[in-house]
Amino acid sequence: MSHQPPVSCIPNTGKMSKAKKVIEEAKENNNPEIDLVDKGLSSLDEIPGLFSLANITRLSVSHNKIQVVPAALANLANLEILNLANNYITELPVSLSSLPKLRILNVSLNRLNGLPRGFGSFPVLEILDLTYNNLNEKNLPGNFFIMDSLRALYLGDNDFEYLPAEIGNLKNLQILSMRENDLIEVPRELGQLARLRELHLQGNRLVVLPPEIGSLDLASNKSVLRLEGNFWVPHIEDQLKLGPSHVLDYLRSETYKVLYSRHMSAKPAPPPQTLDKSKKASRAA
Amino acid sequence: MPGLATMSLDNMFCTRCGDGFEPNEKIVNSNGELWHTNCFVCAQCFRVFPEGTFYEFEGRKYCERDFQVLFAPCCGKCGEFVIGRVIKAMNANWHPSCFRCEECNVELADAGFIKNGGRALCHTCNARIKADGLLNYMCHKCHGVIDGEPLRYRGEVYHGYHFTCATCGVELDHTAREVKHRPGYAANDVNNLFCLRCHDKMGIPICGACRRPIEERIVTALGKHWHVEHFVCAKCEKPFHGHRHYEKKGLAYCEQHYHQLFGNLCYVCNQVIAGDVFTALNKAWCVHHFACSVCDAPLSTRSKFYEYDERPACRRCYEKFPAELRRRLRRAHHYTIRR
Repeated sequence: MSHQPPVSCIPNTGKMSKAKKVIEEAKENNNPEIDLVDKGLSSLDEIPGLFSLANITRLSVSHNKIQVVPAALANLANLEILNLANNYITELPVSLSSLPKLRILNVSLNRLNGLPRGFGSFPVLEILDLTYNNLNEKNLPGNFFIMDSLRALYLGDNDFEYLPAEIGNLKNLQILSMRENDLIEVPRELGQLARLRELHLQGNRLVVLPPEIGSLDLASNKSVLRLEGNFWVPHIEDQLKLGPSHVLDYLRSETYKVLYSRHMSAKPAPPPQTLDKSKKASRAA
Repeated sequence: MPGLATMSLDNMFCTRCGDGFEPNEKIVNSNGELWHTNCFVCAQCFRVFPEGTFYEFEGRKYCERDFQVLFAPCCGKCGEFVIGRVIKAMNANWHPSCFRCEECNVELADAGFIKNGGRALCHTCNARIKADGLLNYMCHKCHGVIDGEPLRYRGEVYHGYHFTCATCGVELDHTAREVKHRPGYAANDVNNLFCLRCHDKMGIPICGACRRPIEERIVTALGKHWHVEHFVCAKCEKPFHGHRHYEKKGLAYCEQHYHQLFGNLCYVCNQVIAGDVFTALNKAWCVHHFACSVCDAPLSTRSKFYEYDERPACRRCYEKFPAELRRRLRRAHHYTIRR
């Protein structure tokens, strides 16, 4: 590369110099998007001047070793995209939820054991990616399902056994991924998500689906319905072999409504947990 | 007629005073008559015609002002002189634009009028006023009272039974349709009456929205005909008026609502994609927003990417995934390939 790095009085030593260089270049060029992907960072506090870049709209710090997300990150009031994927994060500061323009938040591939109280108060969040963490229905904050601006909610590779009925409040949800959790049942309220076009339920412990799912528009060529790897009753399993649209047809039938209500009143014991999660990277201490 | 140059002064005399002309005197020639310049004047005010313009009446010439004062008709409505076309009616003269129906104020000069109780009325108002008076219409043909609905034809009301269908000859009633416009015919040719049955068979297009015949501009779309103002967006119901429309499942939409309802919204910015669209994994992206969902690095149309919850992950990110996750994704991938 012929491009010479700008002259700086800060000593250019080790890995941190790369991060400093990115920040300085961003300041110089007024670049609103910061990429600090795979820079070996162990903390955001180590990056001098990061929190003073009030004009930046995107911060991507994937593939680092960040353990703590500083509350001061919320000073970046123009952030629209915050990508913290694949770090060592165990908890988030509640201050993130006050970022007024944040539309996309990615905290996938981390070690979250819960979310802070009041987490759900994002004003304009559209895509929330919490894939591959240690989340379940018990460690979600009470206001999680008030985020009705959400278009996509990724909760795959977590530990949910039940999906709260409040999911029905997320009226704008188009994508819901619950891939490879421990789901034993999903609520009828899922049928209220009229705009849902993508539903990932593969790799859970599901036996039946509420008939209301049949009314969702999940059979069109722009839709995705993933159901494999569950413990479906034989009728659903047979229809699934023909394709997900056949399952939806079957869910709408009168026969299935009878079968579902019988199943729900009989309350059979849930299928066993099959996924061995001990090797998940999110479990590392 | 001999020209001035060939005529000798001896046999040239002024039309007004009868005297001859001096050599080199200026002579006025008007339609072959000769005048002294100071004899060529208005017969009323004896002044030279302004700008040479005069009006001739019974052999005498007048300036414009005196001609109007003496002979021009005054409009019965506005009191101004009527120059040009004069409408003589109701014992008075009128400008064509001043002679109007005293009920609805429509111009009567070409439409014709009817004197009704000393008032000039158009045919429609006359019929209505008559009907109001009698609580019934009066047939324009037999002058008998019409019970019930009249048949309307060329602005008049009639008993239906005076007419027959121009096609099948059946006796008509008030449901008959008057056809004023038909492709390939001049307006005057087709002022005909038809029974409903024949009217429907004439191939006059029917609007797909209001089910009424279309006699003006036609929009043809979605395999149907429409009144211009009835061809509207299925969502906002605003007429397209020739603007681009988008069809989906037998319905037409304006650009905004088509995109809003059927998707080319970018997965990242959630806006209508203005330029090129990148489509993959049941989603669409602005070309410059198509990026790895794990590290946000831009992906080009040729980049190899891995599918991860129906989103793209670049190779570098995929290789950084925990090994056990990669194994599960690989197994899921084989499952989808098998299907």
